[in-house]
Amino acid sequence: MVRFVTNTTKESKQDLLERLKKLEFDISEDEIFTSLTAARNLVEQKQVRPMLLIDDRALPDFTGVQTGDPNAVVIGLAPEHFHYQLLNQAFRLLLDGAPLIAIHKARYYKRKDGLALGPGPFVTALEYATDTKAIVVGKPEKTFFLEALRDTGCAPEEAVMIGDDCRDDVGGAQNTGMLGILVKTGKYRAADEEKINPPPYLTCESFPHAVDHILQNLL
Amino acid sequence: MAAWAERLAGVRGVLLDISGVLYDSGAGGGAAIAGSVEAVARLKRSPLKVRFCTNESQKSRRELVGLLQRLGFNISEGEVTAPAPATCQILKERGLRPHLLVHDGVRSEFDDIDVSNPNCVVIADAGESFSYKNMNRAFQVLMELENPVLISLGKGRYYKETSGLMLDVGAYMKALEYACGIEAEVVGKPSPEFFKSALQAIGVEAHQAVMIGDDIVGDVGGAQKCGMRALQVRTGKFRPSDEHHPEVKADGYVDNLAEAVDLLLQHMDK
Repeated sequence: MVRFVTNTTKESKQDLLERLKKLEFDISEDEIFTSLTAARNLVEQKQVRPMLLIDDRALPDFTGVQTGDPNAVVIGLAPEHFHYQLLNQAFRLLLDGAPLIAIHKARYYKRKDGLALGPGPFVTALEYATDTKAIVVGKPEKTFFLEALRDTGCAPEEAVMIGDDCRDDVGGAQNTGMLGILVKTGKYRAADEEKINPPPYLTCESFPHAVDHILQNLL
Repeated sequence: MAAWAERLAGVRGVLLDISGVLYDSGAGGGAAIAGSVEAVARLKRSPLKVRFCTNESQKSRRELVGLLQRLGFNISEGEVTAPAPATCQILKERGLRPHLLVHDGVRSEFDDIDVSNPNCVVIADAGESFSYKNMNRAFQVLMELENPVLISLGKGRYYKETSGLMLDVGAYMKALEYACGIEAEVVGKPSPEFFKSALQAIGVEAHQAVMIGDDIVGDVGGAQKCGMRALQVRTGKFRPSDEHHPEVKADGYVDNLAEAVDLLLQHMDK
């Protein structure tokens, strides 16, 4: 069984699917699990009405979710929403007891003009102001991986994660009981594999190499 | 609880918080808190020494004092201990040139500070100026510095305006700390140096002084840590849970400044 997992907060599943299909990947929508999906699942579980501080392009993933008269806050990477007025609104909801759900707590990301603040700092600001803790649903949280595996019928020990982010992909997966394979593509930098303990189950050149290894050694 | 007479014995000086004790800021200059104008007047007519000890960093002292005077308060600039002037002193002493993440209203306090080629960031209560763009610029400045220094004017979580509670500088300070993996230096309450300078200004020792504030941690807890007594008012940012704070127990809880002054004048050494 295969699942495609990502922390993206600015692409709906549909957009992601179309993008991958254009690149000729043979993928179906129900094989994709994103941190937005994880957030939506949590919102439904808790039966709350969220104030959505997320990228407009991510809104389709929340179709059908009630957002009027909010009693929860969901926060993703959405610089256009991180201005004082909106954050203050969120702050007042949280002070009244609303839960804070963070898609992830990345400190920053890379833009053309340099580094830019991610959602993490703003989540931290709200946590401090309200003396509460956010529920983080994206990688490297355990809940993310467990949720992604939920409808596969596989236990973590029967699963392998392949990723380029040593801490978020491999570290997070191994923490959940999965095997982690680090690929040296994407954001990988030399010696990344030394940054987590225990180290990755395997570090290899690329995704095809990882697949070869799995087919040859793990089945 | 021990009687008020015991708790307030030997008081010679009073430190007054401004926001939430004297007035609530907001549209049209805000509103005086009931009884506070008269309370300040009574204090000033008494033998007690009075000093205003505020973390206000959205407005200059001149603007703040002007506003308070228009609301009827007996107050002058020279009676106010505020964080911007204290910060300027530190900047000059340490050869620091700041990138200012501040509200335009307080910029004049930094008029004789060199802000070219910044080697640190100063963050104050920027209010509406806490845009993503402005936060990001401050973040980028810090990330470029070999030795990133972040100075924060206070670290309050929120304060009260007439329209409701508002995120304060502390939240945004934490955001930058998290983003850059650094720790800010705080100028203003609850830093001990700040309280000490306020006490020095009126020539009163800590054990002879009482702080009156609406922030259970920043005002009350901070003052107590310096050896002062402190009264918590139930105005401003006060929330009922503050009376059961897990760490801080005020020397007394009063409805407002007027009640605090009643008690002080009743029980002070004649």
